[in-house]
Amino acid sequence: MTLTAKPLAALIFIILFGSIAFTTVMGWWSTASTKEPITFSEGKFAGQYNPADIRGSYTFGDIENSFGVPAKVLAQAFDIQTDKPAAFAIKSLEEIYSGSELEIGTASVRLFVAFYNGLPLDLGTDMYLPESAALLLKEKTLTPDQLAYLDSHTIPNLTASSIPAAALIQVTESSPETESTDRLIKGKTTFQEVLDWGVTQATIEQIMDISMPNPLTKIKDYCLEKGLDFEIIKTALQAEVDKN
Amino acid sequence: MKLFGKRLFRPRSIWIRKIVQWFFLLLIALIAINHTLVENGGGIPFLSTASLHALCPFGGVVTIYQYATVGSFVQKIHESAFILMIIGFVLAFLFGPVFCGWVCPLGTVQEWAAKLGHKIFKRKYNHFIPTKLDKALRYLRYLVLIWVVYVTATSGRLIFAEYDPYFALFNFWTSEVALGSLIVLGLTLVLSVFVERPWCKYACPYGAILGITNLFRVFQIKRAASTCKADGACSIMCPMNIPVDSLTTVRDHQCIACLECTSEAICPVAKTVAFATEGAK
Repeated sequence: MTLTAKPLAALIFIILFGSIAFTTVMGWWSTASTKEPITFSEGKFAGQYNPADIRGSYTFGDIENSFGVPAKVLAQAFDIQTDKPAAFAIKSLEEIYSGSELEIGTASVRLFVAFYNGLPLDLGTDMYLPESAALLLKEKTLTPDQLAYLDSHTIPNLTASSIPAAALIQVTESSPETESTDRLIKGKTTFQEVLDWGVTQATIEQIMDISMPNPLTKIKDYCLEKGLDFEIIKTALQAEVDKN
Repeated sequence: MKLFGKRLFRPRSIWIRKIVQWFFLLLIALIAINHTLVENGGGIPFLSTASLHALCPFGGVVTIYQYATVGSFVQKIHESAFILMIIGFVLAFLFGPVFCGWVCPLGTVQEWAAKLGHKIFKRKYNHFIPTKLDKALRYLRYLVLIWVVYVTATSGRLIFAEYDPYFALFNFWTSEVALGSLIVLGLTLVLSVFVERPWCKYACPYGAILGITNLFRVFQIKRAASTCKADGACSIMCPMNIPVDSLTTVRDHQCIACLECTSEAICPVAKTVAFATEGAK
């Protein structure tokens, strides 16, 4: 059988785009990380999305899609002045609130979403909210414990509104592709990266109190799998990274 | 073109290949631009916003180790790259490295630079490097492949992106691109004025893998010695310097299945150099 250029060109298109179409229909084709948090596996909230799995790479729009908290409300809560709140990436919060002594970041969004929707969240670690977020939450029905936690974990708003909107929008849903050059432990950080940053395997295992898996495993995934609190492990590992 | 069954003139190049190359170059360029636009709050409707990593089949190759051992992809690599890798292998198994010769935009850009080289150096073009040295250098890309797979497997990061000219070609306007990849891209383009497809010949790790399929692919470049005029046109035309006129079946690991050596293009005798299966006559 002989093949000439035109049929070959047609076959290239058919095989390439046909396979892409097929895998899209089958739900296998994906060009970005999934923005779907894990769900509660048991109890009263079984099947609902777990705010503990909200990641820095999510945008306010992703939160709106998963948890139903409007992106506008989130922008108001965190005092973000933008005409495109859905495109705002949560990871930008840390940068915007870098002037604050207490961290406002991904954990703050987890706290806000949990309280806003009345979902459970481990309050064992300190998570802080700006005043604007606390005010919005106080309009909801909170338990006395939640109110007490809120009162002791609220910080005054910074001048986030003075930051140009363009600067706020520069990190959007596709920014997980931007490689971080700093040594910050995030949801995508692997054990290998922490090893590369000078933390020994023995130290990592001591912090986790269990053996370290394949170094290419993401720390967060392993914590979720083993029922460990990622925030606590992250903080302890980050302290070790910062020593080196 | 034919008139009353007689061929009036014979094209000297596979024009449909150029169209396909242009199509993929524009498609990838538009998607890369759209990716940047979306990052800045804009975007082109109905066009993919995927990152270049998500659309690179080689990303699937470098993540194989991590996928097999941990069950996850290397950072920045997604299912799409894995699927494209499989499609690339299927195409290569059937037709050889058509991804290199027909699809890869970096190959297209190198061919543009080659046109300048042809104009300047005429027949001397693509023949500057001594044959023995050139032959040895062709295996460099396997060393690059081993290195890339090794560093990705041990680090879990796309270290190759820091040197990848393909990434630089479609990201030179962003802060994501590393200086190393810009330098490699620049060198590739400059060298292309002297040597045709230098990146493909000496350094491309993806081309190295696909090239292996030339040994067993279903459709091969075949030369009929009985009708061959031995004018050497096929060998002169070959961008990869393969001596087609001395072979009956091209199994060279460097062939990119561009079909430029066939009777459909440069070979003046009909059905003498053809793209055919093993039993074809």
